[in-house]
Amino acid sequence: MANNAQYLLDIQELKLHFRTTKGVVQAVDGVNFQLKPNQAVVVVGESGCGKTSLAKAILRLLPRNVFHYGGKVYLNDLETMGLSDEEYRKQVRWIKMSLVPQAAMNSLNPVLRVGDQVAEPMMIHYGVKKDEAMQQAIKMFQHVGVPVDFINRYAFELSGGMRQRVAIAMSLVTAPALVMLDEPTSALDVLTQANIFNLLKRIKSEMATSFVLITHDIATSSELADRVAVMYAGQIVEVADAFTFFKQPRHPYSAKLMASVPKLRGNDEPDFITGQPPSLINPPTGCRFAARCPKRFGKCNEEPPTVTLGEDKVKCWLHV
Amino acid sequence: MTSETPSKENLQIKSTAADTFKRLMRFMSFRVLMLVVTIVVAVYSTIMIANMGGYVDTIMRNDIRESTIMKVAAMTANKPISGDARRQMQEEMIALEEKRLGLDTPFIIRSFRYLGNALTLNLGRAIYMVSDHGSKAVRAIILERLPATLLLMGTAELFLFFTSVFLALMLSRSYGSFWDKLVITLSPTSAAPPWFYGIFFILIFAAVLKILPFGGMVSSPPPETTIGYSLDLLKHMILPASSLVISAFFISLYNWRTFFLIYSSEDYVDMAKAKGLTSRDIERRYILRPTLPTIITNFALLIISLWTGATITETVFLWPGLGRTIFRAIGFYDTPVIVGTTIIYAYLLAITVFLLDFVYAIVDPRVKVGGGNK
Repeated sequence: MANNAQYLLDIQELKLHFRTTKGVVQAVDGVNFQLKPNQAVVVVGESGCGKTSLAKAILRLLPRNVFHYGGKVYLNDLETMGLSDEEYRKQVRWIKMSLVPQAAMNSLNPVLRVGDQVAEPMMIHYGVKKDEAMQQAIKMFQHVGVPVDFINRYAFELSGGMRQRVAIAMSLVTAPALVMLDEPTSALDVLTQANIFNLLKRIKSEMATSFVLITHDIATSSELADRVAVMYAGQIVEVADAFTFFKQPRHPYSAKLMASVPKLRGNDEPDFITGQPPSLINPPTGCRFAARCPKRFGKCNEEPPTVTLGEDKVKCWLHV
Repeated sequence: MTSETPSKENLQIKSTAADTFKRLMRFMSFRVLMLVVTIVVAVYSTIMIANMGGYVDTIMRNDIRESTIMKVAAMTANKPISGDARRQMQEEMIALEEKRLGLDTPFIIRSFRYLGNALTLNLGRAIYMVSDHGSKAVRAIILERLPATLLLMGTAELFLFFTSVFLALMLSRSYGSFWDKLVITLSPTSAAPPWFYGIFFILIFAAVLKILPFGGMVSSPPPETTIGYSLDLLKHMILPASSLVISAFFISLYNWRTFFLIYSSEDYVDMAKAKGLTSRDIERRYILRPTLPTIITNFALLIISLWTGATITETVFLWPGLGRTIFRAIGFYDTPVIVGTTIIYAYLLAITVFLLDFVYAIVDPRVKVGGGNK
């Protein structure tokens, strides 16, 4: 498959397997999806379906027990999997792609001032002097709504919401085209979550940034999403335009996932999915969701094809 | 839009800054008080233990009696003197000698006098031991042996500390590699004490291969030129120093490697990697910097531990150090020497602990003087 350069991010057959004492965990097992510039894709799925591993695989932040890491990741027309670690560090890290981590408390160095940490990427990648980098950091602080005098504070002196804003400021300081957000609001209260999402929306329109937002909070993420990718057992089972997805999810798993979100109006009881997601050590053959699927039929024992429906894709026998 | 306005927090910080000095002084005086109490208790316990709770008095009394009787017998051997007069003479001399050594006052009273002397660093005179220059002053005995110990222990321990920290940092980067597994496999070698390795080293390098000396600090007679003397010293130091290093090397490496491994799996280290920092920068700013307090503590305690020397290793290698002196002092019940070394050790430890509090506050922004609102 050749890369189509209209995409900002093009992931093809991305795999990340870990070695554990119980066997090889296929956390990311052949993921494909594309993202256009200035779009936000939301990756949703249950806990343990490989969402965070997917982020790690895209960012090449591999743990020590990697068993297999392969596939292709194109950023514009740059194929990053072929780069050596040093080339990748110099060309991709924080220049083309940055990260807002899951837990901002632990993601900030406790003994460095937050301003220095925000300014750091400018100094490393663009050889900017410290004063200039700090100016850029101050600009970013203003942009994300952190009081400017907080640059001299340490992470432990900030509230959870402020820390998350600092992490966002840090991810934007070099103005990368793509920002990965790994559950950026999961540790925050509802008000702060809403604030952060408003901030992200503003950044997206003002700075033309693209986002890959990894979350299990479908309701809140619908605010930001242009596209939705549903992940199940290490694979993407559906990629769709957000509008169509929220109206009419195609994959039975997506439908179940949507039905499990409580609604303010209407008498629908929140639905749940019976059973457990399959073990990623020995994933079942055929459709991985088949065991829990209400619409399963004979064909589900065979590996389902990825069906392309316009811009959208769904990996299910029902849509063949 | 922001629900988290900082003004309230700022006010709080300013108002606490006003009485930071007061809090600091209160904290410091409390710390000093605690450390003084610790030193007093430690030294008094040492005095009691070194005197075996006063039993050393009995030993000394018997010693005095025996030597005085012999002395009187020798003095009066050729003199016509009655048994009573001789006995009287004996008793007078014994009383005089006991008075000279202070044995006429009860031990419990003297123990407090010893404590006072020890705390004011008035180390007094040894009972039996003599320095190589013939002085009985405890200070002279200790100062004479200290350089030898500091030279041997300093070289070995500093080498051990810096190499193991440096290598462990490298090792933590290649978790599960061949070298990593090798270090883990070899770490039980540290179960054997340094003198155990020393005995084998002496056997191999001195007795069989005859390339290094058996022990001691310099050859006899010592070389006359400074360079010759240094080289000779170095040659004598190789075996004891390497047994000290080898016996602790792998466990120390293993400890530090595990320590760095834990700290290098922190989220902020991953974040630093994602930001594109070089591995050198990550190690410096994201692994070493946050762990600096622990490293400094270990280093400070190591520096104090140099003071006591390595008792048995020094004995095996006939190294004229402090460890051997303490060993001999214990054998002689020479309490002033034992107490003297202990009191200096206690003071060094207390000063180090006191200073470490301040070092922590400097290197770790999370450490603040207690009593604040955080």
